[in-house]
Formats: sequence, structure tokens, C-alpha cells
Amino acid sequence: MNKEELIAKLKPIIAPYIQDEEAFKNLTEDTDFVNDLKINSANLVDIILDIEDAFDIRLENEDMEKMLDVKSAMEIVTQKLKG
Amino acid sequence: MIGNDIVDIQLARQQSNWQRPRYLDKIFTCQEQEYIRQSTLPEQMVWRLWSMKEAAYKLYVQMYPGRFYNPKAFKCSLSQSEVLYGTFKCHVTTKITSNYIISEASMNLAKMSSEVIKFNGVSASEQSKFLKSKLLSDVAKALHCQRNELQFVKQAHGIPTIEYNQKDINVSLSHHGRYGAMAFAY
Repeated sequence: MNKEELIAKLKPIIAPYIQDEEAFKNLTEDTDFVNDLKINSANLVDIILDIEDAFDIRLENEDMEKMLDVKSAMEIVTQKLKG
Repeated sequence: MIGNDIVDIQLARQQSNWQRPRYLDKIFTCQEQEYIRQSTLPEQMVWRLWSMKEAAYKLYVQMYPGRFYNPKAFKCSLSQSEVLYGTFKCHVTTKITSNYIISEASMNLAKMSSEVIKFNGVSASEQSKFLKSKLLSDVAKALHCQRNELQFVKQAHGIPTIEYNQKDINVSLSHHGRYGAMAFAY
């Protein structure tokens, strides 16, 4: 899966929790879940669970630590998919 | 130093389904999950523990600037009113009403000093502005200075501070749904 495909797969996972439509429309690798998309910190858990389900992977606490922006989410998913 | 966090219970109910599979296990330790299981008001317990963790995290990053997401590693002890993160330990006081839950973390045992504000139907960004402006007025009053002598700044990692006379005043702001909370330490 290339970067564009990965972002395209992540976008609908993130969508239900965003609170800034404009930032979501302009989403890039550098978009921050909390600062840009204004996602509630309790909903980051939902995103993590949704990512686990969508990619059939499991994320550990250490993986979650960095899950604050799109880039980190992409890195973690890519790493997990490699096994 | 101080860290606070407020949860609008009604909004939390809309935003989060804490009963979804694996949700509790991602955020809460075994002990905390036990608190929730044994509580007669499990929903309230979920957000009580959550606000304790968030308040403690906010205090922690003021002392050791950084940014990360690891709520499970912040371990609540209800009997001690403490939150532990590795070797870091702080006191947390919590106030629960039928509308909101607020927690405040500090290094020393202290009474809750956060002021809670109820917003009436304005946009989230307006509410944030109002909260900041109210905080500046309150700090000015406490320090017996003019408001324009104070400057609200966000430091690295988005940590808020008020600058006064080349000194930093430690502040904490929290905002969720219809409620806002602010506290400062000087």
C-alpha cells in the first residue's frame, strides 16, 4: 500500500471524530489529530480501535504514545502490516 | 504547578461509547477497570478516572515538557487520590456534579482551585477565547497588575503559560462541551 492509498484508507476512519471540517478537507501527513482536527483526546482511543479493526492489527501502548498525527499513524500501521 | 481537566458528562455520552469492545482495556489499568466494574455508577467512574489521568498528564508535561498519548500509563489510586506515572506521583482532587466532572492535579495536597465556567451556546472557538480572556483578568487581579502586562503564550508542545515581568505563570485550561475550567499557580 503506498502513501496515498494509506491516507485514503485512514481518512474515513478519522472522519467521525473530527471537529474542524476545514482542517480535515486539507488533511496531509502533517495534520495533527488534536491541534488541527480538534479531536477529543478520549476519541483517539476510538481511532486506534478503528484502525486495529480496519487493518486487522493490534496496537500496543508504545504504539499509541506517538499516535498524535497522521504521519505517526501511517508509520505505525505500515510497520505493523510488515509484521 | 497545576493541571486540570473537565468532562461534560452529556457530551462524553454522545462522543464516546466506553462500552465498545477493548475500549476500557486500552485506557485503564486492571485496578481501574475493577473500580469501574464495582461502581454503581460505572459511566461516572469512567469519566472520573479519565479526568484524573488527563489532569495528571497536563501537570506532568508542564514539569517535563513533551507530548505523548499514553493514558493507561497514568495510574489512578482512588484511595490515595493520587495518579502515578512511572516514578512521577501527584495528588488529584475531583469534583463531580450531575453535569460535569473536574479534576485538578498538583504536587502538593491542595484544595481545588479551578474555576468552572458554563458556556451558553456560542461556538467552541469563541468559548476558548472567552476562557483565555477570563483567565488573564483573574491572574491580573491576583497579581495586582494590569491585564496588558500579561501575555498568554503557548510554549513548545502547546503548553499554555502566562508571561508576566519575564516570569512564567503556570496555568491550566480545559474545555469540553458546555463547560470550561481554568486554574493558575503563582
